[in-house]
Amino acid sequence: MRAYLLRRLWQSAVTLVGVSILVFVILRVVPGDPAKMLLPEGAPPSAVEELNRHLGLREPLWVQYEIFLRSVVRGDFGQSFQYRAPALRVVIERVPATIALAVAAMALTVVVGVSLGVLTAVRQGTPWDYGGTVLAVLGQSLPNFWLGIMLVLLFGVTLRWLPTSGFGGWASLVLPSVTLAAFPTALVARLTRASLLEILGQEYIRTGRAKGLGERRVVLRHALRNATIPLLTVLGLQIGTLLGGAVITESIFAWPGMGKLVVDAIFFRDFPVVQTILILSATIFVVINLLVDLLYTVLDPRIRYG
Amino acid sequence: MLTLDPANHYSISSTSVLRHVYDPLLDVTNDDRFVPALAESWKALNNTTWRFTLRKGVRFHDGTPFTADSVLFTLKRVRDNTKLIKSFVYQDIDDVRKDDDFTVTVTTKRPFGSLPARLTMLGMLPPAAGAHEEAFFTKPVGTGPFRFLSWTHGDHVELEANARYWRPSIPKVDKLTVRFIPELSTRAAALRAGEIHVIDRVWPDMVATLKATAGIKVLDTPAVEAQRWHFQLAREAGKDPRVRKAVSLAIDRNTIIKELLLGYARPVVSPIPPGLIGHTTLGQKPYDPDRARAILKQAGFQNLTLDFVLMKDLYPKQLEIAQAVAAMLGDVGIKVNIRNLEIATAREQRTAGNYDLFYSGWAHMPHDPDWYFGQWFTRAGAEKMTRFNDPRVEQLIAEGRVPDPKVRQQKYEEIQKILWEDEPEIWPYYSVAIYAISDRLRNFEARRDYYVLLHEVGIA
Repeated sequence: MRAYLLRRLWQSAVTLVGVSILVFVILRVVPGDPAKMLLPEGAPPSAVEELNRHLGLREPLWVQYEIFLRSVVRGDFGQSFQYRAPALRVVIERVPATIALAVAAMALTVVVGVSLGVLTAVRQGTPWDYGGTVLAVLGQSLPNFWLGIMLVLLFGVTLRWLPTSGFGGWASLVLPSVTLAAFPTALVARLTRASLLEILGQEYIRTGRAKGLGERRVVLRHALRNATIPLLTVLGLQIGTLLGGAVITESIFAWPGMGKLVVDAIFFRDFPVVQTILILSATIFVVINLLVDLLYTVLDPRIRYG
Repeated sequence: MLTLDPANHYSISSTSVLRHVYDPLLDVTNDDRFVPALAESWKALNNTTWRFTLRKGVRFHDGTPFTADSVLFTLKRVRDNTKLIKSFVYQDIDDVRKDDDFTVTVTTKRPFGSLPARLTMLGMLPPAAGAHEEAFFTKPVGTGPFRFLSWTHGDHVELEANARYWRPSIPKVDKLTVRFIPELSTRAAALRAGEIHVIDRVWPDMVATLKATAGIKVLDTPAVEAQRWHFQLAREAGKDPRVRKAVSLAIDRNTIIKELLLGYARPVVSPIPPGLIGHTTLGQKPYDPDRARAILKQAGFQNLTLDFVLMKDLYPKQLEIAQAVAAMLGDVGIKVNIRNLEIATAREQRTAGNYDLFYSGWAHMPHDPDWYFGQWFTRAGAEKMTRFNDPRVEQLIAEGRVPDPKVRQQKYEEIQKILWEDEPEIWPYYSVAIYAISDRLRNFEARRDYYVLLHEVGIA
């Protein structure tokens, strides 16, 4: 186990260095000139050149990377071109809103998704099952922006129950998290249903029932626990998506999260911000994957790493 | 909204916030008059020397007085620190001298007739800002009608009224919150839900919905912006004046204005929009596809293909308009290849010269055309853009840089006559700025320069 852990940690470090090189090179190879994006269209070429020099973009690529690595080791991810402030600070300011939205959406996904999955599985073939399946299909097929705007119009404009947008208080969290959770909830519901149905047909479930266990205990203690394993993989990956992939939801709800920040940063060629976000999120991804792999061993004693 | 430093951004939304915190030396009204702000008066002593008399008794929000030292600090800072985004706007300033506490003389490297206009874009800072700039701009002070309270990045800025503002009984409200809502549908929803009082940058197709909502007014005004699609003048198609003429004749501008922009645009009668120095009336460009076909045939251009490059999602309805133009040009036998590229990529393609026609607009931000001419119609400016090069025009632009408005008007008229004939660009329409507001708002002015300025606005 210890050797396995060390090997995984070493692999993770190599992955992260690889990611940093890839991000660094790709950003500088794609067309687009940061100084031009900062200056208005009518700025003279000399001003563009001067600003690019100030931004350190006239050094050879490997020199730029070396400077970058040295600073990162010191915890300095460079100055954001757009915000004219430390990139790490610009990114960290977006963390609370990002986490709040991701956690809320994740909670919805797990609670609603798993419940819906269990309900449709144990009531297979009944109207409950059909209704739940319709909901799940809708959740997976409604485009995010459409759902978001409809929710804003209904609950923000017509009913005035909830704020239309912005970040402040619990009420403002409802519409964005529902919008963001729609897809993963549907995914989790369908996955739960499928794997639960498969497990409910297994021998040991029959044994459980035969020895007189209550249906509730059979489903929740024995079947659901085993159905959780494929779910965990999906949920682990979804956390990453919820953290970084909420761009559309963030745009619709003017939510000051990281998704919108990274898209704008790519758009305006704000290299330090893009680098910071991608490297941080790669780190989070790697760590979560590691944790999920370790969790398997806890949930299923048959899985052992050597 | 990117920064609280008035010299370090080039963004309309940042200006809409920061103009409430900082005052410039001069202001520009919605009818394009330059009026006193922190300078009470100004005068060109000769072609390269300007004298500014400053307003007395003005204080920054921290209590320090506004004096000539503030002007010296602000102007020298923006000129010398070329890291600042607005630095290039003030490069022609040679020296800034303090004659006494309330008189400043500015000398320029060459005639700089647009100096007053350009000074409307620069908020005055206290000299103490220089000591710890980074700290200063996290909690900045200006002389403006509102004090800075807080900024939640990506969400909102909070300002509170400056009770000692130098203009009497201004501002009219105690608190001002500016929210940043990138998506127009959400902006409109927040206004309709009564969460906010003003929204800017409304697109024509949103107007009907907003007008139908009780308690909301829609306001529009001709902007200081002319759309201009420029030719790459060194490529085969753009190089030939007959091709440019044919393209111009083949475009039905009125249909674009009426059908696609729903009337929220104005026909162009000269490259400079009305109200600005240099505007004149040269008539409207005709729509005549038959003549376009004849010209192309005579010039021997069969199977001409144009690359029409767009900067993705930048201008209202641009893709629909470009598609309509492609159909109109197709009608006279020119094939149009629409390339809708991400902004940074499009601009790289332009520098590389990989386009025939480039979809763009020009907002004459300081309400003065000197910049437009200097950038697009001088060899140095246009070299990596349109490849425009005409010594006559270049000469006239230099002559038009003097402070005398009569001379400027005359030179600019001459320039535009040449351009109108030569058509290095297509000017399809003047843009219209659209805003929507709560009908409880008083004295709101729909600005031509897209800024939202709420100095005099009150709530009923």
